[in-house]
Amino acid sequence: MITKGNSIFAVLSFLMICVVLSLTSVAAAADKENCLMCHKYRYMGRIDDKGKKNNYHVDENTFSSSIHRNISCRDCHTYINKIPHDPVTEAVNCANVCHIKPPFAQEKFSHEKIVDVYNKSIHSIKTEDPEIQKRAKPNCKYCHLNPLYFRLSEHVVAYEETLRRCFNCHTERGVSQAYNHITHRLRRKTSRSPQEIVALCAKCHQDVALMKQLNVSPRALDAVESYNRSIHGKLVRLGSQKAADCISCHASNILHDIHKKDNRQATVFRDNIKKTCHQCHENTNSWFVQVAVHPSVKHEDNPVIHLMNIGLRFALYGSVLGLVGLMLFETIGRRRDGIKMAIRNGTTWRGKSKRRSKK
Amino acid sequence: MPSEVVSGSIDDSAEEKESQTDYFTYVEGVGHIPRDIYKYVESDPMGDLPRYSVHIVIQHFLIFITFILLSATGLPIYFSDVFWAPYVVSLFGGIESARLIHKLSAFTMMFATAYHIGTIGAGTIKKILNKEFDIRRTQVPRPKDLLDMIHDLKYFLGLEPDRPKMEKFMYKQKLHYLAIIWGSFVLMSAGSALLFPDIMAKLFPEKLGNLLPPAATGEGTYPAFFQELARLMHADEAIMALIVLAFWHLANVHLVPGRFPAQWTFLTGRITREHQIEEHFLEYLNNLREIPAEREYMRNLLKELEVARLRLPPPQEASDV
Repeated sequence: MITKGNSIFAVLSFLMICVVLSLTSVAAAADKENCLMCHKYRYMGRIDDKGKKNNYHVDENTFSSSIHRNISCRDCHTYINKIPHDPVTEAVNCANVCHIKPPFAQEKFSHEKIVDVYNKSIHSIKTEDPEIQKRAKPNCKYCHLNPLYFRLSEHVVAYEETLRRCFNCHTERGVSQAYNHITHRLRRKTSRSPQEIVALCAKCHQDVALMKQLNVSPRALDAVESYNRSIHGKLVRLGSQKAADCISCHASNILHDIHKKDNRQATVFRDNIKKTCHQCHENTNSWFVQVAVHPSVKHEDNPVIHLMNIGLRFALYGSVLGLVGLMLFETIGRRRDGIKMAIRNGTTWRGKSKRRSKK
Repeated sequence: MPSEVVSGSIDDSAEEKESQTDYFTYVEGVGHIPRDIYKYVESDPMGDLPRYSVHIVIQHFLIFITFILLSATGLPIYFSDVFWAPYVVSLFGGIESARLIHKLSAFTMMFATAYHIGTIGAGTIKKILNKEFDIRRTQVPRPKDLLDMIHDLKYFLGLEPDRPKMEKFMYKQKLHYLAIIWGSFVLMSAGSALLFPDIMAKLFPEKLGNLLPPAATGEGTYPAFFQELARLMHADEAIMALIVLAFWHLANVHLVPGRFPAQWTFLTGRITREHQIEEHFLEYLNNLREIPAEREYMRNLLKELEVARLRLPPPQEASDV
């Protein structure tokens, strides 16, 4: 029999279970080896020999919402084999094989393929590079900061409706994650907004002093500035999600294959650029692709446009000042003619107003 | 009815007579009209005499609305790095809708332009067929406009006793009209080049590239040059138009004495008698010829003024026109 007291007890215990479950579910799966036993402390850190302060705190909530939340610490930090561990000297290698097996695959997951693509790109750190370049080049972590994986607002894919159909057969928790994971590459080229991409690339490429040290070409030196002057740059700065950002043109769908313009594999290589523009511009031909995406009004790049720009400035100020001057001159002359600024009957007409004479 | 009035000999008499006789213009059935009669006439602020047809009023209104929208959506895109740009864009619901509004306004403005060309063309043909066409009553610039301007500037300096006798469109308006023709052409062609860069590039086919001297890859190619030109011209011409309208046109029709607070011609299509006589005297003579009521009014006014002895009597030579 269900009594009143019983049902209240049932509701309360259900709520209690919910609360307990929601508390314990945080980061439960990730930390099998209990690394957080020490690393959960906020001020856990060390001052090294050079006096640099290092903080080794790992925030549970941040980690549990990151893309790597289901991977145990030692899958990446492979050099740790005892607790408490020795001082860390090695960096994480993203090409490591981790213990996650993707669905429908036999081998364990690894970022090896994309690291290979990156290693061939202009941004990879090569042994023959001078020290300054090695330091300046971005590694994986420079661009990929956790948490990267978040749900985007959907326009293209009816996310909720499609997902609800999956729930007919699958449990919600698993299928939501799988669906999100699989489709977020379908929905967008990157999970970052164009504004974030531009800000990320501009962080180094806008630094003219650094770029000069790295001996980049003069065109690449003002790449960010000239991009911001283009319609793509202006629209992205004003919040457009459609307009082209840096990697819309400078990388294919692999995203990491950024090469120099004269590299045959580059998306902006002479023979490939038509295809690259075609991603957004339906009608492209070999003439269209010559239109400057990084426009320059500098004298040495475009002397005719540069001179016209100066000429038009003169025309602008000349005509505006001339016409306003004429207006002022005219007003002075007409005032001498007897016209007044004073308002009578709602106007400054000089003569008698019909309205008044009719009264 | 209007055929009995003769005013064709005004120009001849003006050339023959000395400057004092220039002061009076004789119109048969009305009398000797002093040049500064505009100081004594009655005016309805809403306008007394016809100036623009309803079509022109509609066109002005369309251009007026679309121009404001185009400026408001175009400026933040051009000046995207200034602090107010995102706020203005957000007024239009984001950059994508701001661009859409810009394009729709542009097409509306182009429609208004086509409408205007149609109105002017049809009106001209109609007038030619009716043998009423008079080039002096159009916007076509003539040498007289330059002389009028010199005369007017002299008058403003105090070197001439009266303002020049000008046609329906004075030098200022013709200058503005020419500027609008040039500006519309530049803005529309450059804007189309920016909106349809692929079609723009197609206009320069590869065969043409082979005929022209070889351009180096990268910068200095023809499509790149023309696209650059379009970017430059569209923005520059738009800003010039905006500044001229904001500081000159609006001041001329709103702020200057005698026009404040507003000239209602843009809504009513009618001009005040005072303004017509002051700046478009020759058109006023046409009005006198075409509108009997106006003739009646002026005849009575002249009588009244002569009775009141406000004006000098007409000199002897002028009466035998």
